[in-house]
Amino acid sequence: MKGYFKALILILLCLAVLIPFASEFPDGLEKVAETLGVKENEPSWTGLMPDYKLPIIGTPYISTLAAGVFGVFLVFCITFMLGMILDKSKGKKT
Amino acid sequence: MHIPDGFLSPTICALTYVISIGFLVWSWRKARATYSRALTPLLAVSSAFIFAAQMINFPIAYGTSGHLVGGTFLSILLGPYAAILSMTIVLLMQALFFADGGLFTFGANVFNMAIIGGLSFFLIKFLTSDLKREKWLFPAVFAVSWLSVVLGALACGLEIGFSPVFSEAGGIAVTVPAMLFWHVLIGLGEAAITTTLVSQLQRLQPNVLNGLKILKGKPSEGIL
Repeated sequence: MKGYFKALILILLCLAVLIPFASEFPDGLEKVAETLGVKENEPSWTGLMPDYKLPIIGTPYISTLAAGVFGVFLVFCITFMLGMILDKSKGKKT
Repeated sequence: MHIPDGFLSPTICALTYVISIGFLVWSWRKARATYSRALTPLLAVSSAFIFAAQMINFPIAYGTSGHLVGGTFLSILLGPYAAILSMTIVLLMQALFFADGGLFTFGANVFNMAIIGGLSFFLIKFLTSDLKREKWLFPAVFAVSWLSVVLGALACGLEIGFSPVFSEAGGIAVTVPAMLFWHVLIGLGEAAITTTLVSQLQRLQPNVLNGLKILKGKPSEGIL
């Protein structure tokens, strides 16, 4: 278990180091849409942190890092629960 | 490759939702039938890792970027069924909290990334099933993780090409080659990262590679 917490810390450290180097270029699908002149509409649901930025923080680096840390813990917790549910319902038939 | 809302027609959205839910129910049943409690911390950490890795876009060429999808990687750690569920949760959190990928297009995104990524495991299994071909493991991981991105892009190209927003621009005759062109390159990044991660983990922490244990037919605490 200890090793997994170390891994989690390592993931957050890597994230903190790599965020400034992340490319701002459009990804493959965005590029295709751009080339074909298809515009992305303002989404009906923008989420709390659109584009991985916590809106209340002005500094882009800190804002993205905060969103990343939040997301990493969120995914960690939800998938941990998934694991516990899978374990609990193991072998049941429905 | 996360499709935002507005790119797909309601029919395509509905169709991909139905297909994805079908695969998710199947994965759920398969995963829980033989789930081992010991897998839970690895499931959580590797999913968190994939979330973080997807935030880091790497530039490829001509002002375009890509990022790790990680479906093949997760399937090597968790086995195909838990990998599909894990990746679906990553995509759900991205859609709900970060506006990365739409809610109506969620079914399509699950199919393109989670399901194709998870199922790619069976191709690695097929390629390395013969014991004599064990040395093919890393080439197989490289090729299959590349293919998982390219096939995801093919599915994405078809989905957007059959939707009205893109049919005015030429439909699938344009969207499929365009998606494939970029993702043949992005897939090389996926393949390089996946192969590096798997080979380093095999060197440093071979006990976490539950999927590989399944591949080699050794008794494992993993699933299957």
